[in-house]
Amino acid sequence: MDLEFFETQVLPAKNKLYRFALRLLANEEEAKDVVQEVLIRVWRDQGKAEEVQNWEAWCMRITKNLSLDRLRLTQRRATGPLSENLEVHDQNGTPHETTERQESMQRINQLMATLPEKQRQVIHLRDVEGYSYHEICDILELDMNQVKVSLFRARNAIKAKLMKLNAYGL
Amino acid sequence: MDSKHIEALLEKYWNCETSLEEEQQLKDYFAQGEVAEPLREAAPLFRYLHEQKSKHITDVVFDKQVSDQLRKKPRGKVVWWTFNAARMAAGIAVVIVAGYFVRQEIRASYPEEVTDTYSDPKLAFEETKKALLMISKGFNRGQKETSKIKLFNQAEEKIQGKDKKEEATI
Repeated sequence: MDLEFFETQVLPAKNKLYRFALRLLANEEEAKDVVQEVLIRVWRDQGKAEEVQNWEAWCMRITKNLSLDRLRLTQRRATGPLSENLEVHDQNGTPHETTERQESMQRINQLMATLPEKQRQVIHLRDVEGYSYHEICDILELDMNQVKVSLFRARNAIKAKLMKLNAYGL
Repeated sequence: MDSKHIEALLEKYWNCETSLEEEQQLKDYFAQGEVAEPLREAAPLFRYLHEQKSKHITDVVFDKQVSDQLRKKPRGKVVWWTFNAARMAAGIAVVIVAGYFVRQEIRASYPEEVTDTYSDPKLAFEETKKALLMISKGFNRGQKETSKIKLFNQAEEKIQGKDKKEEATI
């Protein structure tokens, strides 16, 4: 792996790594630090990079491990919703519609936070990043069955809460 | 896009039976804005997923920071050993200097009890001789006193000898 390959192929994956770290750490600065650490580690461990079949999945796995190490070090769990500004980029709607959409997004964010850690990781990798089941198995070091069960439970928990929200506004 | 088709896809989505391509169709449908009434329930989730996907590292100097780090040559073995040896030497030097100062402090707080009283050796010799003579005089006096005790002992032995003879005759 030369520097050119790294800068054109690996570095552009930084945003995927960042989103995953942010999902785990719920802190933008820490997520950025983790991504930087991951990229440097990948560069210094070039020998191993040539052995792995899917370097992106490998980078994601390092991101997961470093993020979880950080959580362990600070003895906390990213259970709370992400402290982010969920702005709805909608130019068409009225201010009322925009506010309403923003509120519903906040609810989804809180709803996501109630899911177990593994389910949150799986749904993020599948529904946000669009990884295949095999890639998710590789990243999270889980077997196929565990991944599918986690995704099924996560989606169904969300579906049930969305129905409740729609029916009763809860 | 046919809403019936999307409804069917959504049902497959909740049951985790969709492929990545079908999931992308769902995402595209919800991203375009106009959502059919029966599908409104799921719209906040897909909007949330879309917003999550748009998150990225906003720091413009991030790439440069990473590239600069990569271009830094890692420390060679000799440099590494020299650096560590220097660190250890510095640590030892600190301990030695601290020990010296502590010793000085202890010495200052406990002044020496035995000090020379004479600077002239002849005078010192005379004084020592005087002291030894005084001690020997004392010894001689003691010896005289002990000779008196000897007399007592002899008299006691004589008396005891007489008593034994009388007992034998009886």
